[in-house]
Amino acid sequence: MNFPMSFSDISLWLAVMAIMLLVTSELLTSSTGPLRNLAIEKNRLRLLALALGLGFIITVIMRAFNYT
Amino acid sequence: MKITVSLSPPPREMQIGVIFAVTGILSLLVAVYKQSEVLAFIGLGLTLWGVLFFLVRPVMYVRGSLLNPASEPLYSTIDRILNDSKYEGRALYVPPYPKRAYLPEHLKGLKETVVFIPAGSDTVPPPIEEMATGKFMTQNPKGILITPPGSDLMDQLEKTARIDFTKTSLEDLCDILPQQILENFQLAKEIEMKAENNQIQLKISDSIYTDLYRDETLKSLKLLGCPLVSAVACAIAKATGKTVSLQKITTSPDAKTVEVSYSLVEAQK
Repeated sequence: MNFPMSFSDISLWLAVMAIMLLVTSELLTSSTGPLRNLAIEKNRLRLLALALGLGFIITVIMRAFNYT
Repeated sequence: MKITVSLSPPPREMQIGVIFAVTGILSLLVAVYKQSEVLAFIGLGLTLWGVLFFLVRPVMYVRGSLLNPASEPLYSTIDRILNDSKYEGRALYVPPYPKRAYLPEHLKGLKETVVFIPAGSDTVPPPIEEMATGKFMTQNPKGILITPPGSDLMDQLEKTARIDFTKTSLEDLCDILPQQILENFQLAKEIEMKAENNQIQLKISDSIYTDLYRDETLKSLKLLGCPLVSAVACAIAKATGKTVSLQKITTSPDAKTVEVSYSLVEAQK
């Protein structure tokens, strides 16, 4: 049984998730309205978004050098 | 003696995280079994959001309104001391020595920021020997030495910014400090800080300590400033290495805006 997603599918998923989380973390950090009182670890959210973005870049490099 | 321990249920965000993660993993397993791409996408998404709920949940947050009642007794105590001793001078924030600087054992006490309240209009802090011994009352010049209400807050700001304020210029501090207070600690809605010559102006709007200023009876609050104002004074003293005098604190009629004027005291030769 193989994993049903191809390498490019995972790459696309990583990119979409990274963008969503990066936009969310930026909006939360710079917000001055009610969103600024949201009691969550905004730095961790940003770190996770950056990690996903990095994951996407790695997949792109791997595809560029035909590792897959 | 009876000790009762109650186990509170896990926080709601953890429950949601578990539900998301379990559903996601199940979905991924079914996706592999059925060879379904759509289920795999759903599974990955749910697992990620489940993990996210665990990661971003707050470690510990308390209501901001609890900070004022917690600070008030400190100011009331200082008020009692000041009323009893009849000391009325302006507060002088004495800069600490850098944490890594070598100091002989008997001068180790100089690594902490202290605030000197003189009896009269003195603008010179006591000699370092007196400050190093951790004295409370000094005789020459007459006054008291206390720990500033914002010294720990300043330490936290320094830690979060990962910057040693002793190596920061005053201009840089005017950029870093408001950003740290607003973005990382959310202690106020707006902060303006500018330095000109030896004068530093600070304007804080909607600070978390607004309610403290509504209490007109607290004399020491006008002298030392709220913990936030005090933390800024400590940071200025640390960055410049000069004694900082808190000149004036002005509040708007609704106490929502606080304007503070600090000045740097040149060392007398």
